Amino acid sequence: MRRFITRNAPGYTFLLPWLIGFFLLTLGPILASLYLSFTKYDMVSAPRWVGWDNYVYMFTRDRRFWKALHVTFSYVALAVPARLIMALAVAMILDKGLRSISLYRAIFYLPSLLGSSIAIAILWRQLFAKDGAVNAVLSFVGIDGPSWITDPNTSLYTLVVLAMWQFGSPMLIFLAGLRSIPKDLYEAAEIDGTPAWRQFTRITLPLLAPVIFFNLVLQTIDAFKTFSSVFIISHGNGAPADSLLFYTVYLFNEAFSFFRMGYASALAWVLLVIIAVFTGLAFLSSKYWVHYENERD
Amino acid sequence: MTKITRRTLLGTMGAAAAASAMSAIPGFAAERTIRHFWWGNPERDKRTFAVIDLFQKHHAGIKVSGETIGWKDYWTKMATQTAGSNMADLIQMDYRYLFEYVHRGALKPLDEYVGKTLMLADFDAAPLSGGKVDGKLYGLNIGSNSQVLVYNNKAFADAGITADVINWTREDFPAICEKITSASGGKMKGSDDLSTSVDIMQVWVRQNGREFYDADGKVTATADDIASFWDYWAQMRKAGVVSGKDRTVVINPPLSETGIVTGGTAISQFWSNQMVGIQALMKDKVGAAMFPHKKDGPYGQYIKPSMFMSLTRDVKDVDAAIAYMNDWVNDPESTQVLGLERGIPCSPKVRAALKPTLSDTEKDAVAFFDAIQDRVGKLPLPEPKGAGEVYELFTRTASEVVLDKIKPAEAAGQFIQDAQDIVDRAR
Repeated sequence: MRRFITRNAPGYTFLLPWLIGFFLLTLGPILASLYLSFTKYDMVSAPRWVGWDNYVYMFTRDRRFWKALHVTFSYVALAVPARLIMALAVAMILDKGLRSISLYRAIFYLPSLLGSSIAIAILWRQLFAKDGAVNAVLSFVGIDGPSWITDPNTSLYTLVVLAMWQFGSPMLIFLAGLRSIPKDLYEAAEIDGTPAWRQFTRITLPLLAPVIFFNLVLQTIDAFKTFSSVFIISHGNGAPADSLLFYTVYLFNEAFSFFRMGYASALAWVLLVIIAVFTGLAFLSSKYWVHYENERD
Repeated sequence: MTKITRRTLLGTMGAAAAASAMSAIPGFAAERTIRHFWWGNPERDKRTFAVIDLFQKHHAGIKVSGETIGWKDYWTKMATQTAGSNMADLIQMDYRYLFEYVHRGALKPLDEYVGKTLMLADFDAAPLSGGKVDGKLYGLNIGSNSQVLVYNNKAFADAGITADVINWTREDFPAICEKITSASGGKMKGSDDLSTSVDIMQVWVRQNGREFYDADGKVTATADDIASFWDYWAQMRKAGVVSGKDRTVVINPPLSETGIVTGGTAISQFWSNQMVGIQALMKDKVGAAMFPHKKDGPYGQYIKPSMFMSLTRDVKDVDAAIAYMNDWVNDPESTQVLGLERGIPCSPKVRAALKPTLSDTEKDAVAFFDAIQDRVGKLPLPEPKGAGEVYELFTRTASEVVLDKIKPAEAAGQFIQDAQDIVDRAR
């Protein structure tokens, strides 16, 4: 025991700031929220234990919960592939060996840094307003565009476009992945006269699979958690007509607008389970389409 | 990779939980300090900080720290601070939330200070009693107001409209909107589409002879009340004499984006104390109108305390806080600075002192207030818990009606039922 302490004490001492942060600011609140999810808690009076009531209400009576799930799933299903395709496409262009590539890399990465900021969300609202910049451009070609953001039929797509625009970080990872594919494979394919499309499906995609998988998992998790941009664009409550009622926005409203912290905590735990299930599914499916170089079949 | 995943995940989870785990941050100041928290706009903030300066000059040794934020975020921040036992000593309160906060034990009654350090002797009794809950005074009225339709004088003159805007009726209104729209060649619509306005919906229900809630928190407004309200606006929308859908579904836009200020419409709906703020943003002169009433029926509007100042359960220095409150409603210099921006003061002395200094718009606001005195109904009963959520439900459902996603009659039935569910669940 003493040996353990003398050997590890310096290490833990250096870790202390992080450990304190983890137990106080992360683990503590997580456990607290688990407890609160079984209570009725309005943030002013003390929490009152209600057992599974919150979860039962959520699945049996709460129409907005299902609406929020619907909106969030639609978004994830559209935004994740859109962003990954965009990221891969740009990565492949950059991989062709442009001059001053580091400059382009930086420029293309920029939207990812800005994308989740409040300023961009406000800009987005202006761009896609009835009298916004997008419609101004469309009017040149004689199209009278709708009010993209306040029309519930199109509002979700403006967010998908925003997600697509922030392709920077998966793009960088794709670029690194592309760089690690041996060039002689393509040379051999050239000699055999393999068309470019087949080179892409037979060489690039299979060899890039681990990287695609990595990006897929991270981006899916990211998409489920989208909050700040939607919060601003939807005026904080999923407007218009709940078409932007993302799960996180619904959760926030239950907690901070309607003072149902207990119920909101239950919602948070359900979101955790949903994300865990999707990540788990991705890992299970990866056996069939992701192969690593050092693996033998 | 799993590590990153897990950490990011935990991050989200923490968001909701963090607020509950946050604890009070102790103050370190040696001198006496009070915190005052209000929702505001640039004009209100300027006046309030000026009053704070005055108070600090009069009471050396007491420091006041002012905190301000917009209406919408105010209640979110308030909820978080309440949960963290970190409320400001003095907060601005709204009639809509007063009962909710009192019933949750977040506010302290003022009765024991009244007549000792808080002098309210000659104040109007009716507006003052609006701050009472269960017989105790929890909110000090710092101004009264009423619903108002603000109209563009020039647009009315251009269209040749000479209607009596206090006594006009629901039947007159669409024709007037039509006149304004055609006089401007369709560029300026007659009015904002008020389908999503909770305030006007409530007036409408009262004009039909009912209150929205009864004393037990039962929803007494009928589906017919709501359906006819939405129908009324739907017809004007069809005629193209009110603002477009994309404007209507933006709920609570900032003053600068409302129809009358942008020039998109000639009429927008506000609370009477906001007139000064609107005029400040406009070139054309504005006027004040009542919401058109049902022929031979009641007018439906009411005068309510526009804002209260309340003492919170987390107050540290009660004496300093009460002294500040007292100056707010009695000190001649402070009340002069505040003017009518928060509403009509309920001290006759203060009103008399203000009279010679009023701007034209303020005079109009006072004249409007005088004109409606004997036409308004009584203050609605305190609303049940969950009323705030019912408001949101209303604007949401109204948006769906405006966007033609659901028929008014069907939406109204659903709304009444859901509203009752919300109130029942909040008990």
